[in-house]
Amino acid sequence: MARSNIQNNIRRFRFDANEMTQQQLADEVGTSRQTIVAIEKGNYSPSLELAFRIARVFSTSIDNIFSYKP
Amino acid sequence: MSYREKENLVNIFSSLVITAVYALIIYQKQMAGQINLEDDFQKWGIVFLIFAGVSIVARIIIYIIFSIINVIATREGKIPPVDERDKLIKLKATRNSHYTFSVGFFLAIIALSIGMPAYWLFILFVISGVVSELIDNGSQMYYYRKGV
Repeated sequence: MARSNIQNNIRRFRFDANEMTQQQLADEVGTSRQTIVAIEKGNYSPSLELAFRIARVFSTSIDNIFSYKP
Repeated sequence: MSYREKENLVNIFSSLVITAVYALIIYQKQMAGQINLEDDFQKWGIVFLIFAGVSIVARIIIYIIFSIINVIATREGKIPPVDERDKLIKLKATRNSHYTFSVGFFLAIIALSIGMPAYWLFILFVISGVVSELIDNGSQMYYYRKGV
């Protein structure tokens, strides 16, 4: 499966947010931990809604977390 | 291995075991002359309906056993919620499964058209049903592992 062109720095944001765990983030945004793992590894591009929810958890905008590299 | 991958593995196992055991029972009855599936299409209907019922009950039992063993082994009582990624993976796996069953259906029709006995239609239906289910669960495992 080709890796996604959408890159993210969720890992860094989690670290900055008091070393939030993947499970905590998953619970906050209403997904499974496996989905957070897949997003961080670039194996899954989240929907716009999930991207917004993730950005909201870190009180920032989507483009600070996700970027598109063609 | 994630919960969903294990779940799919259990589904593959139960699909193979249930179908194999049921097919063996029916085959033995056919050989013993208790039923005649070569000409009696009504019997095929009954066999399929009983299989559907048996399959559902057996799967429920296997799933309960799997859940209990999983809780004991992982000490995690909480089943992960079904999210958008799970739904997307299920959707793609169902597409692959339907393609597979369609091929099986056409093979069955081709078998009829070249003069094979009519009961082959039902046998090919069963085989393509099992294979399409394996493709469904196998696809899900692939997408969970490799990404979607």
